[in-house]
Amino acid sequence: MSTERAPRHGWVEWLEGRMRLTELFSFFTHFGLVYTPIDTTRPMREVIRLLGSQRIPRYDRWPHVLGPLMAVLFGLEVFTGLLLSYYYQPSSGDAFASARTIVRDLPFGWFLHQMHTWGSYALVAVVALRLLRLFWDGLWRAPREVLWCSAVAATWLALQADFTGRLLVWDTHSYWSVVRGLEVVFALPVAGPLLSFLLGGRVITDHLLIRFYILHIVVLPLLFAATMYATFATLRRVGLSAPEGRTVPTTTHREYLFSLVRFNLVLFAGLVTLAVLAPLPFFGIADPYTTPANVRPPWYMLSPWLISEKLPVPVWLTGSVLLAIAIAVLLMPLWARGKGIAEERRIRLAGTLLLAVWVALTVAGALVGRK
Amino acid sequence: MSGACGLGRGVTIAAFALLLVSGPALAQTGRAVTQGPVSKSAGTCGTCHPSERVQHEKSAHADEGVTCVSCHGGNDATLDKAAAHGAGYRGRITKSEEPKLCASCHSDESRMRPYDLPVDQWALYETSGHGKALAKGDTRVAVCSSCHGAHEIRAASDPASPTFVTNIPRTCGTCHGDAKLMGATPHKGMVYPEYMTSIHAQELLTRGNRQAPTCVNCHGVHGATPPAVGDVGKVCAHCHTAERRYFASGPHGTKLAKAGLSECASCHSDHAIQAALPARLDTVCSVCHGADSNEAKLGRTMLTDYRGADKELERAAAIIAKADAVPVRTEDYQARLEEGRTLLREALPAAHSVNPALVKTFTSRAQSVGHEIQAEIQHKLDDLRWRKIGLLLFWFYVVLTLLVLRRFREQGAREI
Repeated sequence: MSTERAPRHGWVEWLEGRMRLTELFSFFTHFGLVYTPIDTTRPMREVIRLLGSQRIPRYDRWPHVLGPLMAVLFGLEVFTGLLLSYYYQPSSGDAFASARTIVRDLPFGWFLHQMHTWGSYALVAVVALRLLRLFWDGLWRAPREVLWCSAVAATWLALQADFTGRLLVWDTHSYWSVVRGLEVVFALPVAGPLLSFLLGGRVITDHLLIRFYILHIVVLPLLFAATMYATFATLRRVGLSAPEGRTVPTTTHREYLFSLVRFNLVLFAGLVTLAVLAPLPFFGIADPYTTPANVRPPWYMLSPWLISEKLPVPVWLTGSVLLAIAIAVLLMPLWARGKGIAEERRIRLAGTLLLAVWVALTVAGALVGRK
Repeated sequence: MSGACGLGRGVTIAAFALLLVSGPALAQTGRAVTQGPVSKSAGTCGTCHPSERVQHEKSAHADEGVTCVSCHGGNDATLDKAAAHGAGYRGRITKSEEPKLCASCHSDESRMRPYDLPVDQWALYETSGHGKALAKGDTRVAVCSSCHGAHEIRAASDPASPTFVTNIPRTCGTCHGDAKLMGATPHKGMVYPEYMTSIHAQELLTRGNRQAPTCVNCHGVHGATPPAVGDVGKVCAHCHTAERRYFASGPHGTKLAKAGLSECASCHSDHAIQAALPARLDTVCSVCHGADSNEAKLGRTMLTDYRGADKELERAAAIIAKADAVPVRTEDYQARLEEGRTLLREALPAAHSVNPALVKTFTSRAQSVGHEIQAEIQHKLDDLRWRKIGLLLFWFYVVLTLLVLRRFREQGAREI
């Protein structure tokens, strides 16, 4: 392989004669795609070649890929959501009709909607898996406590975004699953009345719809972006998150970028395939006076639903326990500080047991009452 | 104390006896009864006739200043029985004088105008079966109070009134469902139980459809008379206009009249009228014509045509529901489906012409509407397969891109 090259005079050089390309390019170093500072005095091609041959940690391998996946799926949700919002009208009178216009009458509106919905399912799954991975590898301890908290927050936010977005279509299933969900939320001691005040009352009206809409398209995405920024910033500060005592696999930057593009392409193709071959059905308009039979919460809420529905446990208790668990998980770096192998094992065991109970309840919830 | 009516005097004496032993606290009670509680609508009459007072107070008359003395005469300002039942007192109104008494106000246009009430009830009543029998001296027949009540006369728009639309069958049935009272009539008191099994009663009483006919829609209200055999069809045609028109155009129209048979009741009966479901076409013809007759076959032909079209429209409705869940635009097809259903609905009245060709003009049009809807929606649903073809092309592009990437990657690796 030759190391010396004849100077090239392509479009990059033409452009470089007029613009400080490397200066512009260095701007990207803030966004995680490029992890090291670059020499802005050098020409662009050289900078890229140098960067490409640099060795960096691999994020395109399981389980590190979950982080980039989260970012890409979030980007997909923002893009499709933006296009959907051009035609969506957040009022109880127009919501369903405008959603139907999008999925029925606009060219590729159905595709955007299906991608947005399937993308949200994938995002929830990815953030949940990422949380499990961080837990299992003990990455909730300092110096990665910010990483852990932002991962927990991202999971919360993804679930909230799913919950708020669900209502926007205003079809019979989304409406009634939100009714049921809010019953649990409003039953919480202290937090319930406060939330019902903030959300404009306990009844699903235009007031609630517009708040859900603002949460869904402004507040939650901004907060989610903030958690991603915290994640990137932590990674730059403390390096790739690997369990202690294990070496971090590395690769060249160029290899990594190729690999990441390939991976995302396959992910995107997978989502497109789901959107076309397994489109989610479009139900009739919500009728506040008719509860449809067999309303079920989304899969991630099946276990609390099963407990409050089938066991004589008051809703406020289930909700409070759920909230307490969520806060305990968020603040894990504060109360579970012990190190050492025995401690590590104990925490892993407790977490696994909790997860096993959750999964068992979810499976039971999915099976119970099904014809 | 002299002059108080019997009840008042008794109470007063008892009160005085109590007053002597219990002191002045009870003096109040004694005085109140002596003066008599004066009812606004019943005057002092209500003191001795409390149950009539209570009934009268609920009536529309009480609200409009019609008092006891308006009908019964006498004086409602005194508790003296002789004075109250004195000059002009009519006492209990007999059945034979009742219509005239009521008509003294209700046939007076200037009195009834403010209430927008008709004034021809008495004239109509005299033409009715009831009125004619009363004129002959038969006092078992219904007079005004039989249906409207004597003291508690409520407006017909009041749901508690016996003449409110949903109460009419029961009100008429009080007499016409009484086998003993109706023993001498042709229907022997069966008319009420028969009506109660009918589709009309079911619509009126079970489904709350106030457009459904009660007794009075066919027989008249105050001029209640059984329609003559030849007039039954005209009465039914108040509502069933299309049926009568088609019936008259067919062979039955003239022949039944010649045979002295009722045009509607011959097949549908008179009071126990059941829902005229299409399935009747299978059986009703053979009642007169015999099971293997050509006429019975005609009925079955019409039924087959009807069912074919009905099935086609049902399939159209199912595919519309399927398209809605995709969703595909179906508003136009829903309107077309209604059009098809309207055509099919017209086929049932048309069957009264017993002309299968005429029925077929409706059923075949309904059928073709159903067929068109199915074909066009299926076409739209088939267009969705382009999504799958597009997916194949997309995957082709994805694989191609992956290959190109791989090539670039290898090439780049060599260069570096």
